[in-house]
Amino acid sequence: MNDNLHIFESLKHYPLTIQFVWALSCLFFIFIILLTIYLKYLRSHLRVNEKKEAKYQEVYESHLVTYLYAGNDNEVFSSEQQVIINELKKDVADPFKRKIIISTLLKLRSEISGEIGESIDKLYIKLGLLRYSLAKLRNKKWDVIATGIRELTQFKIKAVHKMVLNNINHPKREVRKEMQLYLVHLYGFNGLEFLNVLETPLSEWDQIQLLEILQLNNDTQVADIKPWLNSSNDSIVIFALKLAKVYNQFEAKEELITLLNHNSEDVRINVISALSHLHLFEATTILKNNFSERSEEEQIAFLKMMENVYEASDKPFLLEHVHHKNSEIRLSIMEILKNINFEEYTLYDDDIKKILTA
Amino acid sequence: MSIIPYFFLVFSVVAIASYVILAIISAVETIEYMKKNSFINYKEILSSTFSPSISIIAPAYNESLNIVENVRSLLSSHYVNYDVIIVNDGSKDDSLSKLIKAYDLIQIDYLINEQIKTKPLRSGIYKSTNPAFDKLTVVDKKNGGKADALNMGLNISKSKYVACIDVDCLLLEDALQKLIKPFLETTDAKVIAAGGVIRIANSCTVKDGKLLDINFPKTWLEQGQILEYLRAFLLGRMAWSRLNGLLVISGAFGLFDKKIAIKVGGYDTNTVGEDMEIIVRMRRYMEDEKQKYKVAYIPDPLCWTEAPDNYKTFISQRNRWTRGTIETLKKHRKIGFNPKYKSLGLISYPYWLFFERLAPIIEVAGIIYFGILIFLDEVRWDYAFAFIIMAYLFSVLFSIVAIVSEELTYHQYKKKSIGLKLVMIAFLEPFVNHPTILYSAIRGNIDYYFYKKIEWGEMTRKGMTKA
Repeated sequence: MNDNLHIFESLKHYPLTIQFVWALSCLFFIFIILLTIYLKYLRSHLRVNEKKEAKYQEVYESHLVTYLYAGNDNEVFSSEQQVIINELKKDVADPFKRKIIISTLLKLRSEISGEIGESIDKLYIKLGLLRYSLAKLRNKKWDVIATGIRELTQFKIKAVHKMVLNNINHPKREVRKEMQLYLVHLYGFNGLEFLNVLETPLSEWDQIQLLEILQLNNDTQVADIKPWLNSSNDSIVIFALKLAKVYNQFEAKEELITLLNHNSEDVRINVISALSHLHLFEATTILKNNFSERSEEEQIAFLKMMENVYEASDKPFLLEHVHHKNSEIRLSIMEILKNINFEEYTLYDDDIKKILTA
Repeated sequence: MSIIPYFFLVFSVVAIASYVILAIISAVETIEYMKKNSFINYKEILSSTFSPSISIIAPAYNESLNIVENVRSLLSSHYVNYDVIIVNDGSKDDSLSKLIKAYDLIQIDYLINEQIKTKPLRSGIYKSTNPAFDKLTVVDKKNGGKADALNMGLNISKSKYVACIDVDCLLLEDALQKLIKPFLETTDAKVIAAGGVIRIANSCTVKDGKLLDINFPKTWLEQGQILEYLRAFLLGRMAWSRLNGLLVISGAFGLFDKKIAIKVGGYDTNTVGEDMEIIVRMRRYMEDEKQKYKVAYIPDPLCWTEAPDNYKTFISQRNRWTRGTIETLKKHRKIGFNPKYKSLGLISYPYWLFFERLAPIIEVAGIIYFGILIFLDEVRWDYAFAFIIMAYLFSVLFSIVAIVSEELTYHQYKKKSIGLKLVMIAFLEPFVNHPTILYSAIRGNIDYYFYKKIEWGEMTRKGMTKA
């Protein structure tokens, strides 16, 4: 104690700068000790939690599988199921266990479909988990709200549709996205109505997600995509073009051809791709006529289309552009010419190489 | 003379302040990213026919020891729409024959779209007769260096995006879908390149191209590199991405918009820092075109790579990194402090110039100056001792913050006692690795200015620990 006091006393005689530096050093040292202790606690806590989680997961999975196979043909829960429900209800009150129960339910839900899958949805409500998900919708934190919407999506809770829709203009993108996924998961094409009012861009990532969910839905009643093809939001137009491809929307032919003159190059490229996929080759004449006026990306997209639909009569058009300044376009043209008349063009392999590397 | 100590003091204070600011921004961004990422379902992109195409380009030079297994690892990605292009860059060993045998390869006719000039083919292009390996293309060309090999890959690729990777990098199965996400999700800017975290695989157990067990290496040199990577990736790059000031994507693994990469002329074959140089050039191109863009970074571990386990290779690697930095900064000096290039010119370039390029020189100058003062008996030992202790404790604290960040985010080093070893190396690293890094940097400067012909150098592959 006296030694420490002596150190402090001697420090007082040093310039202020040195006192400050030593004070900082002490602070750093204290933080190092505290963080090292915290690190030890954290690692041990994570290890213990992982083991606990694995153990509970195994227990809950076993309970749930037993529950699913203990069902009977009636709507009512069997006695064995009731025992399991009562067991699980006790654990639902604990946030840590509740999280594992929900994740286990979700894991099983994704592996099972049909009536057994629906019984998981019923169990979710029976355990009172719906209450917790709805409470999340009223939370101020965006990630909690988004988690709540996701749980409602995954357990297909349609009854709270209006509560979920309250988040249509939530400032956080992730919440709006979860809401969109909720609508499409539960209502299929009808859920895409939000596109009518969406002003923010729909990213390519979001588009892919929505398309995959729609395909899983097996909804045979495809929505009318024509209004979306005329949207002022270019990303919605592009999404509608993807829908046209996936769902073979031949009836939108006129709208698609009109879009060949859209302001956005991205839209025009996607239109060419859609027309090619739908084998609407009436567009080839239009595209050949104004080929030179189009951007290189559009030209490449068109030539890709031509790879599937070339005719011998296309030779003059192709020869006209064989010396195009873009090497990818030259290559594409040469490939098509080779397909039209293999013998004629393989004789000129060296010339081909010269054209390509010009 | 009295101004000199103040110069070193100011430089140190500014350096420390910048590390702290970057660490805080990184922490905030990482927390935000982890929250957002918990809502991402990568499964949809795996099966979608609308997933954009990606070519994985992996140059290989004398990689016979592990090439078959490495290629198997690359072929086991879960992404739906990708292919793998191995560019055998004039290897003198039996890399090509091993690949031909393992993957039933035959030579094919292939019309290359030579948008970037490269060294010519040697024996040609190979594809597999086995449908299981239809994603694989092997290109055998004359030796031209890593950059030249990558450019050949750019010419061969028919995909929209290219992932440039070191062939011995162990790619995680979900790496591609994680790295493509910024390209697809960003709507207010064009993402031109993206990178993620590279982890060190030394002492880890690998089987059939899959990482089975994460272990901590035994030597201080390797342990120090792990700590260094944790600091750089967890407390640095996320911040630079947020500031849109990232100047480098790791050469071990990065994803690029192919069109932009080709537009800027591909990789520069005249530099040893081709990974940094292409990013700066791509960014500069976008600035000149006045297009809004982003170089994205995600903090998820995406691939595991072998780090040098001996001082000779370590010094050679750091020497090359130094020369690469000098070459890139010199080549693009026009952007430095130039308001036309916004954050690239006013923040990124100056930071890299002072705290990456010049820092080793200033540090060595400081040590020499200190030596002179000792010789002249002009040292104020009360100041010297206090500052040295403070600097050391700060470096230890910063490392421990990185270790804690790793636990709070990815918690990859789960085994008992690794935590303690990491803390120990945090205390030892300033004495073990740092002097070697400093020496390598100075050697890099000397080699750059006086021995310009030194190239990439060879790394002796030991192979990852097999299960």
